[in-house]
Amino acid sequence: MRRLIGIGNPDRGDDAAGWEVAGRVTSWDVSRLTAGSLSLIDLWQDDDEVVIVDAMKSGAPVGTVVCIDAICDRLPHGAFSSTHAFGPAAVVELARTMARLPRSLIVYGIEAGQVEHGTPMTTAVATAVDQLALELQDA
Amino acid sequence: MPNDRREIAVDYLARVEGEGAMYLKIDGDEVTDLQFNIFEPPRFYEAFLRGRYFGEAPDITARICGICPVAYQTSAVNAMENAAGMFIGGQIRELRRLLYFGEWIESHTLHVYMLHAPDFLGYPSAIEMAADLPDVVGNALRLKKLGNTIMTVVGGREIHPINVRVGGFYRAPTKPELQALVEELEWAVETAVATVSLVAGFDFPDFDREYEFVALHHPDEYAITDGRIVSSSGLDIDPTEWPDHFEETHVEWSNALHANIKGGGGYYVGPMARFALNGEQLSPLALAAASSVGLVPGVTNPFKSIIVRAVEIVHACETALEIIAAYEPPDPPFLTVEPRSATGHGASEAPRGLLYHRYEIDENEMIVDAQIVPPTSQNQRSIEEDLRQYVTGRTHLDDETLQWQLEQAIRNYDPCISCATHFLDLTVDRTDPQG
Repeated sequence: MRRLIGIGNPDRGDDAAGWEVAGRVTSWDVSRLTAGSLSLIDLWQDDDEVVIVDAMKSGAPVGTVVCIDAICDRLPHGAFSSTHAFGPAAVVELARTMARLPRSLIVYGIEAGQVEHGTPMTTAVATAVDQLALELQDA
Repeated sequence: MPNDRREIAVDYLARVEGEGAMYLKIDGDEVTDLQFNIFEPPRFYEAFLRGRYFGEAPDITARICGICPVAYQTSAVNAMENAAGMFIGGQIRELRRLLYFGEWIESHTLHVYMLHAPDFLGYPSAIEMAADLPDVVGNALRLKKLGNTIMTVVGGREIHPINVRVGGFYRAPTKPELQALVEELEWAVETAVATVSLVAGFDFPDFDREYEFVALHHPDEYAITDGRIVSSSGLDIDPTEWPDHFEETHVEWSNALHANIKGGGGYYVGPMARFALNGEQLSPLALAAASSVGLVPGVTNPFKSIIVRAVEIVHACETALEIIAAYEPPDPPFLTVEPRSATGHGASEAPRGLLYHRYEIDENEMIVDAQIVPPTSQNQRSIEEDLRQYVTGRTHLDDETLQWQLEQAIRNYDPCISCATHFLDLTVDRTDPQG
């Protein structure tokens, strides 16, 4: 199964990026998470092809999109964080330790600018969301 | 370094829910300043509830927390029903208990295994622990998934359930839907009992102090969804009397209000309080599990709260089985509630402790005022006092060791800083007085 998982808070500025991408793609089996990242492990099976989209804070220019093959590479510590106790990066590494990663796991990170409560996405992130959603829709 | 002054600052506390910090200043053996600092930005939930229809409160307040949304929903519906002069019992109440047990299983399992156990076993996180103890972490994930499944079956969704309404539920699950949970719950009871033995074998710091425990109490059961508010010093009040006995105050270093007993001081809410005040009402296997490891109600070593949480997981799983065995779908699944020109108070036992709500409703059934007092707000003073007393007598420890143990002491409370207003900033400041 091909599964797209969008992570983010739709009411918190650029943190909505993953949520918004997942909301626009119809050609994949889609899940959207606002919290409870530990549930990620329950969302995929061993032979699934999984794509995760999440906002990140790496210091790159706002709206920058990075693509990481999480089967081959570890997610950069701190870039994919959460205000909740177990963020997506930690869950992916926990799944790796427990040999519970899916067959394929690609993580797209969209560099966030501001994540204030009740604010819209910045123009740069909104543009990146549009482009990535189109790419995934056609993938 | 008994003659030193030093300062320890933790700018980011891992494995807690939310953003916070701690600052500690030590002069010789004396703690001269200590601040548990919650800098999670205020989210103004109480303000934007004003002007909303009373029936929206359970869905709005559920958004306060992704870990304990059922607690917010339950205290909210209790308050609205109280405002209408109603108390909802029968199978609707049993479904509420089952949903709430799902949240306890999910939240307690996350904390016991994934957040707190690494402290005791010397791992920086559950990821490293999973490499050495894959079966233990695997059980934790399975238990947590069970909690989430219960929340999905009863609440309609595992995070921020959507099936809860004032007066009951939008839809009652069928008997076969609940029956499908039984096999996994039976596994969970056995696993939870084993968890009690596992965590009781940890090394616990030699630390006890006197607490004012506050929790709900119900005459017939280990209170979770409703009850009277009782304390270890004899307080016994209806939740409607909360404002007469408790108050919230602001301290400049925290974005969360501190709660106090009027004319008293800080107090402790959470698993140890529930166990101290209601321990005899635990389910048979939970009582047996506690007894088997020598845990008796009244334990005052906050580090042992991890054992109490494990015991409460047993209770939640065993009682969930009882509820399912006796379940008859309520028809209709809700009662009509019409609060008008009234004030309602509601309380329930979130995984982290007592959660109190108060709403003032106008003649058009709109909320004109709201007050929400989460458990972590209530525990702030207790956390600070634990830290202050724990440091005393341990100032000889180096900063790294002290910081590890103090962060562990904070995690004793499973603090949900997001709820209270998120990360802890620990600063330990030691300065040579001669320097």
